[in-house]
Amino acid sequence: MRHVLRSRLALLCCAGLATTAALGNSEPDPPPAWIDDLRPLAAEAWNYDRASHLLERAGFGATPDEVRELAKLSPEEAVDRIVEYEAVDGSGLADFEESGIWDTGMDPFPPSRAESVRIARERGISLGVKVLPDGASRRLQPVVDKFFYGLRSNVLETKRLALWWANRMVTTPRPLEERMTLFWHGHFATSEGKVRDYRLMLAQNRMLRRLATGSFRDLLLGIMRDPAMLVYLDNGENVKDHPNENFGRELLELFTMGVGNYTERDIREASRAFTGWTNDVTRFQFDPELHDDGPKKFLGRGGRFGGEEVIDIILDQPATAEFIASKIYRFFVREDISKPMRGALGELLSESGYEIKPLLKTIFLSRDFYSSLSVGTQIKSPVQLVVSTYRKLGVGRMPTVPDFNQLTGRLGQSLLYPPNVAGWEGGRTWITPASLLDRGNLLRSVLFPPALAAFGHPDRRLPAIYRRVEERLAQGMNITNATRSGDSGSSMLADADEDYNTRYGGYRGYVLAFERVKLVPRHALGVSLSALVERAAVTAPEEAVDHLLARFLRVSLGEADRSQLVDFLKDRIGSDELGGRSARVEDALRSVLYVILSSPEYQLG
Amino acid sequence: MRHRPFATTNSRRALLRAGLCGLGVPLALPGILQSVSSALATEALDGDRERRPERILVVVELTGGNDGLNTVVPYRDDEYYRVRPSIAIQKRDAIAVAEDRGLHPSLTGFERLFKEGQMAIIEGCGYPHPSLSHFASMGFWHTGVPNGGEPLGWVGRFADAHATPDRPNAIVNIASSQSLAVRSKLHSPLVFDDPAQLRRDGASAEQELISGLGLDGASANETLGFLRSTARNAVKSGATIRDAWSSYRTPVDYGIGGGLGSDLKKVAALIAAGLPTRVYYVTYRGNAFDTHVHQADLHSRLLMYAADAIRGFMKDVERIGRSDDVAMMVFTEFGRRIEENASRGTDHGTAGPMFVVGNGVKGGFYGKHPSLTDTDSGNLKMTTDFRRVYATMIAEWMGHDGAADILKGDFEPLGVFA
Repeated sequence: MRHVLRSRLALLCCAGLATTAALGNSEPDPPPAWIDDLRPLAAEAWNYDRASHLLERAGFGATPDEVRELAKLSPEEAVDRIVEYEAVDGSGLADFEESGIWDTGMDPFPPSRAESVRIARERGISLGVKVLPDGASRRLQPVVDKFFYGLRSNVLETKRLALWWANRMVTTPRPLEERMTLFWHGHFATSEGKVRDYRLMLAQNRMLRRLATGSFRDLLLGIMRDPAMLVYLDNGENVKDHPNENFGRELLELFTMGVGNYTERDIREASRAFTGWTNDVTRFQFDPELHDDGPKKFLGRGGRFGGEEVIDIILDQPATAEFIASKIYRFFVREDISKPMRGALGELLSESGYEIKPLLKTIFLSRDFYSSLSVGTQIKSPVQLVVSTYRKLGVGRMPTVPDFNQLTGRLGQSLLYPPNVAGWEGGRTWITPASLLDRGNLLRSVLFPPALAAFGHPDRRLPAIYRRVEERLAQGMNITNATRSGDSGSSMLADADEDYNTRYGGYRGYVLAFERVKLVPRHALGVSLSALVERAAVTAPEEAVDHLLARFLRVSLGEADRSQLVDFLKDRIGSDELGGRSARVEDALRSVLYVILSSPEYQLG
Repeated sequence: MRHRPFATTNSRRALLRAGLCGLGVPLALPGILQSVSSALATEALDGDRERRPERILVVVELTGGNDGLNTVVPYRDDEYYRVRPSIAIQKRDAIAVAEDRGLHPSLTGFERLFKEGQMAIIEGCGYPHPSLSHFASMGFWHTGVPNGGEPLGWVGRFADAHATPDRPNAIVNIASSQSLAVRSKLHSPLVFDDPAQLRRDGASAEQELISGLGLDGASANETLGFLRSTARNAVKSGATIRDAWSSYRTPVDYGIGGGLGSDLKKVAALIAAGLPTRVYYVTYRGNAFDTHVHQADLHSRLLMYAADAIRGFMKDVERIGRSDDVAMMVFTEFGRRIEENASRGTDHGTAGPMFVVGNGVKGGFYGKHPSLTDTDSGNLKMTTDFRRVYATMIAEWMGHDGAADILKGDFEPLGVFA
């Protein structure tokens, strides 16, 4: 196998790197006629490069070994293996280990600190915590502490959940499952920022994964009954006498049909149909008392529609199938979809009864998917960028130094915290001058990680204002003085100190959460680049550079760039030979890889 | 031609020269900024396209749909109190600015600007066939083409028409991702959040190597071309912006709200550094003004933070001697429904007030307050097309003749600028 790769690389070097393919492609560029052609790729056209493209898009990129495995199959078999992923054993993937932060009495969690205090005053107990006896100082303090504990621990637990998910993306043998879960997470965007309950986020994530490539109808019904979504869209407020139009609007505009295919009246009528759809914390609940059972007129039909009937009317619209199919197309193939393509894919989806798999198979097998407009033209999302870097490196577990959430968050994408109901816009909006520089810088911190001791535990870090409180308490100050703020204008947290102290509560919330939320184990990249190139039977600096280029890039660098990299590597090693493994060679290879990962080319998948 | 700000080319040039010297820019700045500002001077004097190159527009976006009725309060209107029994601003609390209008009590920052004659309040701004969706409506305000599929932003199109294509950083957008409003055909807006981010890490050999990549020829891959040009601009501008920000010190108080105030302070730093930017675009982020539930306290805080930041910024601009050159325009994607909802909040609505702030502004009220009784099924009917305000900024403030082309329609400026 290694020799095959080597000889292919050698061939590539002779041919120069100016073709659009990164590795092993001695084929000419795909014919322009492939653009918008949904017919399947011929078996002869299947090769390493196209297998690599398929894994890049349907998954998160792969190692050369994995690409070669897929390239050996026929295109149909390859696409089957990707799409029919249930056949692949995923039992090695660990389930999320919950910390167990939710105590009895915390449900239903009050909407605000003020509300938790009001309940405490009224009932003597709130959030499962009793008010202190008369005469005690700050009688309500335990309640306020518990309120902030609830907020803080859910954020920390949700970040653990995001890390668990990211690790799953990095290590799964069924990458399409996670890709589609990510797609639906962006489509049915829901943020912990509003939901404030990791249990709901976890349940939604599981549901999206379970139904990721099944029927869109099941998924849609699932999401409309999903407690996280019901909370996110305030459907608790959508009641018979005061229908909340938010729910109907997002359903039509973002989840199913897209703007321009319905009227404001349709929105109102749809919202009425979903009145009474609510949740008892973690469970969906239908409340007939709050449901508007009256006749409705929706998308030209009339009747006493309930939510499920409205969904079926929506699914009957060709606009819906086109909207969903083209969004999937844009996620996997390219930003611009032609009109005929939109129509054809929409038809395909509605004819299959909204089953997702046939659509995916058609797309992944199509000539269009392998055409010049599709290959190497997509800007990777931050999650795709980081996960694919790890997968291409072949890590066995995801490094946690640097922190995955911090990496992607700085680039504009935090798992379980989409910016709004519309999810992430994607494409060129990922790129600004600052974020482009940051992409390189952050990947550099993967290759040259900070020392573990210096990195510490970001999930145990107090914000500055609470650090000050902690320091002052340690110096022996009383709570009132320790929490006094220097910034005179800030009246927000400087309220009554008699029954409770809000700032102290905020501080205690962190401390309590730190005690209960499991600590994220921290470890840096465990892969040696010297070992990687050695495995590829590479001995010369030129070959090492070619190996890294081929392994990581889907759009190749020009010949001049390649020779600059070779010179740079030789210079860093101080020799024309790669030599054996040494810290010097390892560092030099990492520098080269940093430069490659910083290139505009690497941002494309 | 509606506006001829300078009668002849010669007098315009004379004025420009005076204006540029007035900045005092070339005297005390680091080398890189000097070259920028002398480039600005050359461009300003030679370029025919840019009038009033000393003028700067700062656009402030309030995301989420600000409740206009509780911002500029019609406190003599009984209907207002009838439909908002629990959240109306009482007459005794409102800051009276006209016989029948009061500002929300948190808007002390705006009160001063208004009373100093530096604020125009344009009432009832909206557009035909309003959308109640955040995304759709914000998109319409961003493109300036309601109910149309325009791919570029109005600020982007303005820059395309007005600023010479090689002017670096004609648009600066302080944000973590680029706003549709600034999307331009010819310009690559400089979008950043934290100025310190605008640098490449690593050894200088690594940095040099990265900068030297991709120089050998164009690619057929359009997206790659876009990435390459963005990367080049990032490196070039990064140093300028970081220097400007790290050396900026101001005694001016931007309020305690954080976000918007700190973003406006970045704008002040860049203006002080003499950046050739024509339009700055900043946002009160996070869909903050979407006050569906228990809005009273929340809305009060939001308005205070916004007004304090805006007032602070104008004071800072005055401090650095540029108050005659800067105007601000404040907008939101829609106002809220007239009637309060069952959760003591307000749902998505239609028209709302806009604010234009600056030394050159003829302060006062413009447009017309929409009726609370003659409504569009419970929503305000707009009285002023928001594109008239855009046209005002483009023509009256920036001195550009082609507002109709940019806005794809003839919208009459409001005469806000003297």
